[in-house]
Amino acid sequence: MNARYWLNRFWMIGLSTMLIVFGIGCSSSATPSPTPKATEHETTTTAFSNVPGILDPQNFGWPRSVKGSNGSITIPEKPQRIITASIGHDEMTLALVPASRLVGVGSVTQDSTYSNVANLTKDIPIINTDPEILIAQQPDVMVVSPYMPQETIEALNKLNVPIIQTSLSNNPTTRIQDILLLGYIYGEEERAIEFAKEVEVRYKSLTNITRHKDFNDERKRTMAVTRYSDQIWTAGIDSAEGSIIEMAGGINVAANAGIVGNATTSLEGLIAMDPEVIFIPQPIDWGANELKTDLLNNPALKNVAAIKANQVHIVESRIFTTLSFWNIKGAESLASILWPSEFTNEILPSFTLPPN
Amino acid sequence: MVRRVSQTLNQFNNGSILQRLVISITVLVICLFITVSIATASGPVSIRFIRVLHIIADAFTLNSSQNQTDSLIVLQLRIPRIIIAGLVGMALSVAGATMQSLFRNPMADPGIIGVSAGGAVGAVIAIALGLNEIFFLALPFFSFLGAIGATFLVYSIAAAGGRFSMPTLLLAGVAVTAFLNSIISAAILVVPDNDPVRKILFWLAGGLDSRAWEHVAISWIPILIGITLIFGFTRELNMLMIGDNDARSLGLRVNYIRPFLIAVSALITGTAVAVSGTIIFVGLIVPHVLRLIVGTDNRVLVPTSAIGGAIFLIAADTIARTIVQPAEIRVGIITSFIGAPFFLFLLIRNNRGTETFS
Repeated sequence: MNARYWLNRFWMIGLSTMLIVFGIGCSSSATPSPTPKATEHETTTTAFSNVPGILDPQNFGWPRSVKGSNGSITIPEKPQRIITASIGHDEMTLALVPASRLVGVGSVTQDSTYSNVANLTKDIPIINTDPEILIAQQPDVMVVSPYMPQETIEALNKLNVPIIQTSLSNNPTTRIQDILLLGYIYGEEERAIEFAKEVEVRYKSLTNITRHKDFNDERKRTMAVTRYSDQIWTAGIDSAEGSIIEMAGGINVAANAGIVGNATTSLEGLIAMDPEVIFIPQPIDWGANELKTDLLNNPALKNVAAIKANQVHIVESRIFTTLSFWNIKGAESLASILWPSEFTNEILPSFTLPPN
Repeated sequence: MVRRVSQTLNQFNNGSILQRLVISITVLVICLFITVSIATASGPVSIRFIRVLHIIADAFTLNSSQNQTDSLIVLQLRIPRIIIAGLVGMALSVAGATMQSLFRNPMADPGIIGVSAGGAVGAVIAIALGLNEIFFLALPFFSFLGAIGATFLVYSIAAAGGRFSMPTLLLAGVAVTAFLNSIISAAILVVPDNDPVRKILFWLAGGLDSRAWEHVAISWIPILIGITLIFGFTRELNMLMIGDNDARSLGLRVNYIRPFLIAVSALITGTAVAVSGTIIFVGLIVPHVLRLIVGTDNRVLVPTSAIGGAIFLIAADTIARTIVQPAEIRVGIITSFIGAPFFLFLLIRNNRGTETFS
């Protein structure tokens, strides 16, 4: 009896323990917004603590609030239907969430001439800035650029769609913060940390070589030149192409000449800036070859250093003009032009994608 | 009535027209020389004026210094652009002065009454069909056809019902310009190839960027012929200013002269638009300023408008390409910055009943 008693007690204790363990397992899996384990939580909190736009870096549950240029916005739950209405935001978002969570992209995002994610978005409905078209996609959240019309934002606010207006950065450091902010908005903190690290490593492996180059002797005077509608354009301070030149270890002659952003210049302006390397971040369909031919054959330009040395290069527009991390690939491509002995022309690797 | 007509014509004959013409032309030619000198010596690359003179002298003597950078800048970049600015300024100002007299409307500017937009549509059609690649004068020719079509359309609307209405002319100009600009926008959507689209976009904004000797080659003959023809009809323009009936009583064949002068104005406007796109307000500002200085007689006003227009657009373009150098802004920004307030001033003045023509 004693043995039976203890056997029964043993079974009961064992069963109870299993039920408790099962219960704990069930209760934790039923929680709508899991909190990362203690150490992970600390890592995550640290990573997100200094990201502008995150109002409470301790809060990884739902609802959560962020601050965009249109004010504070609360996102009630982890968004499953996302719209990001600019090509830069689309590219950043697709590094953090699977394409199945995007329910609308602009037509440019599906055009491989301009977009680095065209192949990922070909089945996603095309949207524009019409509020009715946007709302028809039933988005849980929208992340838009500062260029989105104010009327559209107001219309969507009235329909209670959380819409966050953020600008994307040209600067590699603040770009990491852009990635973390978007990861926080989508509830993909771990992926955001992992991807931010990937981008940072890629950036550092490039600049570890280029930052040691001597400004006076080694660095080449570099200029981005495009031509649209007979106007010559270049890129100066605070431009995507300008930050790429810096990353690649060149000297941006347009920035040194005081040009801010993307601005029109003239052939004489080009002569005055006298670049040693000219790169053309313009699609072939939009006349890149003709521009290169015209620059090389224009008698007025024949004494420009880049023309004399035949250093006029057409580059892939989509990795030079977008405001996403893909610009690092642009910088790697430019670095292979500026430092051919150190950066080979092998095909540059792509970036990782989030798990489905 | 005959007495009023003879008084008006006497007013034109009073004083020495020839003396006024010689003095004003001399002064303007000096101003033009100064403007051109400043323009050729100004740009992102610093070249002293003495050096510019040497370069030009060397060009005439085929000296070897033409291969030097500063020579190439002056001869290949600055001078053709200055010549184009001068030709376009002349064309738009003379067309403006002519249309203001023809329509007896102080606000008749080729850019405002739809003539420039018509020229732009003609140029866009030539590019979209690839005709400019086949024949180098196709662009100014189609631009001329577009300009003349738009002019007659606007004029017909303003003169509908047998009574010419100035407000209708302006409103019709606004409507026709909007319609023609929508055709250009539609062409951008319809044309499948990107290269023509890139060129078409130029006509939406207008400007003198990257103008070169080939643009001088296609524009100088039609513009100079057109301006010379209008110079030959300045007396008739004076008669048309006093009214069609009065002009007829003086023996003027109004039904032939008016369409002829409209066609010539469209020719020079269309050609100007073919090389510069739509630059507005030049034809409005220059004749008005000169009317205040040299009077309303077209025999003095039209030739002085030609030189004044050249001075104005060369100066505006020099500002546009040097004010933020080595970047540059579109010349239309400068002309609009001056022209828009001037246009509003004219509107207010007209509302108060003060005719600029008197």
